[in-house]
Amino acid sequence: MRWIRAISSQVEETAENLGGKALGLVLLRRLGLRVPDGFVVTAEACRVFLREGRLPESLHDEFTTAVADLEHRTGRVFGARERPLAVSVRSGAPVSMPGMLTTILDLGLTPEATETPEPVPAETHDRASAARSRLRPLERAVEAVFASWDAPRARTYRALNDISDGLGTAVIVQAMVFGNKDEHSGSGVAFSRDPNTGENAPFGEVLFEHQGTDVVSGGATTRPLRELAGREPAVWAELCDALRRIERHYRDACYVEFTYEAGELWFLQVRPGRFGGAAAVRLAVELVDEGVIEQREALLRVSPRHLRHARTPRLDSAEAEILARGIGACPGVASGRVATSPDEAARMAAAGVPVILVRPETSPDDMRGFAVAAGIVTARGGPASHAAVVARSMGRPAVVGVGGLVFDAANGSATIADRLLTPDTLLTIDGTSGDVAAGSPRILLTPAGTHLHRFLAWSEEISSDGSTQGEGG
Amino acid sequence: MNRPRTGQPDPRLLVLHALRCAGACGLARIRAVTGLDESRLDFVLIDHTVDGLLARVFDDPPCWRLTDAGRAEHARLIADELMTAGARAFVEESFDRFLVLNPELLDLCTAWQLRSVDGVMVANDHDDAAYDARVLDRFADLDRRAAAVCAELSAALPRFGRYRVRLAEALGLASSGALEYVTDSTASYHTVWAEWHEDLLVTLGKSR
Repeated sequence: MRWIRAISSQVEETAENLGGKALGLVLLRRLGLRVPDGFVVTAEACRVFLREGRLPESLHDEFTTAVADLEHRTGRVFGARERPLAVSVRSGAPVSMPGMLTTILDLGLTPEATETPEPVPAETHDRASAARSRLRPLERAVEAVFASWDAPRARTYRALNDISDGLGTAVIVQAMVFGNKDEHSGSGVAFSRDPNTGENAPFGEVLFEHQGTDVVSGGATTRPLRELAGREPAVWAELCDALRRIERHYRDACYVEFTYEAGELWFLQVRPGRFGGAAAVRLAVELVDEGVIEQREALLRVSPRHLRHARTPRLDSAEAEILARGIGACPGVASGRVATSPDEAARMAAAGVPVILVRPETSPDDMRGFAVAAGIVTARGGPASHAAVVARSMGRPAVVGVGGLVFDAANGSATIADRLLTPDTLLTIDGTSGDVAAGSPRILLTPAGTHLHRFLAWSEEISSDGSTQGEGG
Repeated sequence: MNRPRTGQPDPRLLVLHALRCAGACGLARIRAVTGLDESRLDFVLIDHTVDGLLARVFDDPPCWRLTDAGRAEHARLIADELMTAGARAFVEESFDRFLVLNPELLDLCTAWQLRSVDGVMVANDHDDAAYDARVLDRFADLDRRAAAVCAELSAALPRFGRYRVRLAEALGLASSGALEYVTDSTASYHTVWAEWHEDLLVTLGKSR
């Protein structure tokens, strides 16, 4: 096949053609981990689509064959009323562009698709054209993902990140697995180590009896990953084992997205962990201790910028009562009493009380509140929300998108993890990890501690070695 | 679609509207938001205060804010304005176009403040002039598309034309080296944009 590749351990292909996400899926297969069945339409097909405004002519037949094979292997039929094949159609560019390109889930479960299947005509030609019209919604989805490459927002993202406009994206078509199937199903994301501290213990979030999109969209409240251990011990054991295997391959911490359906664990995405700050330092030092990498490589893995951020104060999450976790939008730790309106924040601050401003989301009217607050918490929004932008512009520690924070529109009250917030409530927030903690727990001023000292000592040894050699030569 | 009827903005509404969209603010900022000259503004502020629509807040610097009565009067006037101009459908369409641009603006502000280093976001220390220039270049590109949306809106409701002036000012200052005019000052591109967003919501009587 020219335009399509199976997701199999045999595929030998570059990221340029297969895309980073599909390459990750191939890696998972090679490591013997369960990946939903499917195939990849290459980025080369996207490049043709972008140039000519339509899919390459010879792709249609390949596509029909690939779907037919998938139907055969899964024992399901796309568009059928009984046992329909539901697929995800996901972008996967050669260079990661998180959130910029289109993804379509649950395709084949829509009413549109369930109306088309017809008895297969005898004539081969008719059969081919019938198959093609039956699969038209699927091809449309592929076109939609390809077309999203040229959306202005995606173009801007590439311009900012030095990514060529000519790359295009691959498209991954995979059978859906359902995290909402029964009580032994769920979805989650997992790091092999804690990305906030670097501690060597799996870290992440899980959503019981939900699909993966709900984890990412914040549409439902997630639970800490470790709760999976008690609820689904077999899935947990398999996940921990997989994280170790992937780490061994990358020689680095890793991140996975997973779904388990009726007790069976599936992997949907994998990449290296990409830790920053104190976590990057601890990870590098411990990988040396574990014999995975050499000191010299450890030093190369932590950039000077991350080293600078290793000194950002952090909440001691081991000793804190964490009420909720959102997205850290501006690093730093702040403690204060709760204000739920800008007026209240202004009054409290005028009386000399440090304030944590807690809002559903922010409007320009909140700016006064931002100006006087020690820290900011919002229920909605992501790292690129108005609230996050303003918090950073003022250098205020901020946590946004806090799932457990609920505002009652009727009486204006706010609760966090079912605890009513009043002006007497004392909160501490960590704008790196996104933790919101009760009271004023211990703050770590140099969170990387002994790891940072050892790291800096290696750095000095090696640079003095280097200068000795330099003088000798 | 037929262009809606247009009229000159009513200064009484402009002042209430500025405080509704930008939140409580001081004299200089109200002037910047409304574009009203000082003597005119003084009159309106006095009238509104006498009518109980505004209250002074003795912060540092002192500012003005809407009272509950002011909020109610504003809601009435703004709904009237849209109805009289027959502009609802027109503004709705422009708002849809605005919402396409909004995530890109927020991406750009984020790129201005944070940089990806080995896949991890860290603060942009503005040491790399080439990077900053690239971000500003994308701001300029977005600004051209935003200008088109703003022009449509101004054709329906002329007061929206003020955003064009203020956004262009912010971008001009930022490009000439006053970096705080991107995200940091109360006249920054982001601040003006956020007011524009709020304005559209308020004008159409929508919540976020």
